[in-house]
Amino acid sequence: MSQPQVLDDKWGKKAMTPTVEHFHRAVREVVAERFAASGRAWEDFVHDLACEITAEDLQAVEKSLLDTGYTFETSAHVSLAESPEKYKPLAVVSDSGNQVTDDEGRKVVGTGDNVFSAPDLTGTARFVGTVDVVMEMLLGGVPPDTIAIIDDSGGTLTAPILEGFAGVICMGGTVRSHLGILTREYNIPCLMAAELDGLADGDKIHVQYSKPATDAYAERDESARVRISKIS
Amino acid sequence: MPTNLTYTQLLEDNAWLRKSGDSFYFQCTTRTVQESKLFPVNPYIALSYYNAWYRWPELVRKISASMSPEEVGDRAREVSSYVNAISLSTIPNFFLGGRQFLIDMGMINPTDSLDDIHEVLDFSRRANLAYHRQTGHVLNSDNSNRAQILPERALQVFEADAIGCVPGDRLHSAVAGFLATASQYAFLKNCECRLGIHNSGPYQVGANEMLVRDFVDLAEGDYPWLDGVASEIEHNNLTMPVIMKDTHFNIVDDWGSFEATPSYDHDNVVAVGLYTSDYLSDGYIPVHMENAGDLADYLDLLREKMADATSQLWKRMAGWSRDQMIDAGSLVYYGVFKDFAHFAGTYEQDDWCMLDERANRMKPLMNDEYGRDAIAEVVGFISLTSQQESPYVMSRYAAQPADMWSAIPYAVLHDAPSTATAGPIRPGVTSLEPKTALYTTTRGKLTQDECNAAAKGFVPKVFEDGGRYLDDQWVKNNAASDRARRLYEATQEHSRHLQGRGSLLQREDIEKIRNG
Repeated sequence: MSQPQVLDDKWGKKAMTPTVEHFHRAVREVVAERFAASGRAWEDFVHDLACEITAEDLQAVEKSLLDTGYTFETSAHVSLAESPEKYKPLAVVSDSGNQVTDDEGRKVVGTGDNVFSAPDLTGTARFVGTVDVVMEMLLGGVPPDTIAIIDDSGGTLTAPILEGFAGVICMGGTVRSHLGILTREYNIPCLMAAELDGLADGDKIHVQYSKPATDAYAERDESARVRISKIS
Repeated sequence: MPTNLTYTQLLEDNAWLRKSGDSFYFQCTTRTVQESKLFPVNPYIALSYYNAWYRWPELVRKISASMSPEEVGDRAREVSSYVNAISLSTIPNFFLGGRQFLIDMGMINPTDSLDDIHEVLDFSRRANLAYHRQTGHVLNSDNSNRAQILPERALQVFEADAIGCVPGDRLHSAVAGFLATASQYAFLKNCECRLGIHNSGPYQVGANEMLVRDFVDLAEGDYPWLDGVASEIEHNNLTMPVIMKDTHFNIVDDWGSFEATPSYDHDNVVAVGLYTSDYLSDGYIPVHMENAGDLADYLDLLREKMADATSQLWKRMAGWSRDQMIDAGSLVYYGVFKDFAHFAGTYEQDDWCMLDERANRMKPLMNDEYGRDAIAEVVGFISLTSQQESPYVMSRYAAQPADMWSAIPYAVLHDAPSTATAGPIRPGVTSLEPKTALYTTTRGKLTQDECNAAAKGFVPKVFEDGGRYLDDQWVKNNAASDRARRLYEATQEHSRHLQGRGSLLQREDIEKIRNG
């Protein structure tokens, strides 16, 4: 047992995701090399300051992946803003051109899970995805009838302006995510885990918020998902 | 060398490790991976795990030298603080998360730092046992996701003093506004995490149910980023007992989150109260509960102040660098242990608002994608190589041959080499502005030394004369005794309707008192 045990793992397997697999495997290799070079027992090696993995070692691990041409997916805007060379550009809502129509002949431009049942709503879709947009609405006010399209299931990006939205459509999370909890508290109709196709900023839309709330523990049921229809 | 721990200690540690991981899996997988376009949430979560791993063992020893985990759990049950069901249930998981990542990267073995592991697991298990002693469970999930924490004497006061309201009246509207704004503010000041919000209950109130809703760390206090922006918020912790009709809270989970059947509808709120409390208070202190108008006015004022603090804080945070966001978020997670130090009178800002240099060195790995995927793999998919087990295994919830946290191998009791500790705390680093404001407490704004001195000198009235051990099971057969009367009267001290009413009141009496 006097070695890094992860190197001798009867039931081990690769990690599921490429960055975790690359980073963890690379660190294992550095530790194993350093351990072999030390000539010491594991229990003497493991907490020895002189043998420790350093920030420089880990920078080299990151570089080894970036040098392959790999770029990381972005979550927070600040990450992309500070290190654009490391991150992929943010995704935009696509338009397949193959949207189905609702009973009134309107294009269905998305579906989502309902946080709670509320009256149906017609309003203007406005993409609220950056600090700059939030700051603009914080200083100038949220335009009336805004149904905010948010690519963020958290509750912080839109914190100072959330109360001003007529409705929310979130392209992530579940009905138990932070944004779901907050919109329920504010009594703002909200869809979570929305999938959009052909919705653009400024579109006038109708959202079936009157459908029953989604059961967070049930299997996904397409027929139970709320439809978002484009009016103009 | 083999460990000095006993077989029984390892059995208890591994059982608690496994129970914690199972609970955490259920909680995490019903929410998906957290995300935010403002905060790099998952990178800071991952970093907090390392900080917990490297720093908590020594800080547990420091707290334990002053106060036992059982006493902190008992004191925490009498007030609202950051020592609550959510922080107590997450402590083992955040700590073991750091261990698991390090095992997976080959930097430690499952046989390493066994004394450290035992210190943290044993402390957190015992604190949970004491905090949850009312039902005799360890976690809310053991009790069918019910968080019945409080004894009868506290619940009688909450029910008796709750102020009635109906949809459309001022108080009812003010409560809705306050709850929404406080929730929003709590998520922001905690950098997107839910740790500032806690609920206990449901408690049966006749045909209705009561949920006790806590918002903690609201004012200038431990988090330096609240200095200035929260200067107008006068209470650090606020508790709102909410009595609901036609609503069954079918889940109050290990993170203090609730779900109701039918779903929560504010129109079903029939009565509320408002209290403040902390590690220095004798139980719950009413806040502006003279009458419905007084409470509505104050809730409206609070709502304005919190909305203003939210705007100011958001502007401050939106101007932060990524490093500052990661440092702040990781300290919120890492800080789930911090109020133990407040109760024990051993709180030092640098213990709780710095990243250990060993945690800080991991930052080069913490891009958004790695953070997201590492957290998803370790707590959601259970897919790291170090988490895999024999193909015959079907784990509790995931039903796959893998478990979240690697158990401690029992071979260390015989001849397998092991190590005891990762060593003392190393110097801390932070990119955040230093703390400058005082700490907001129920005894006013205090310095760190004043907080610690007050905590060390404080014995809650309900603890006097052995009162700490007088639980509802004892009251059941001794309600007519002087000791029971004194115990109840200590809890009733600030009550509008129950002051001095003693220990013989039945629930029907409370209802009559409420109805005048």
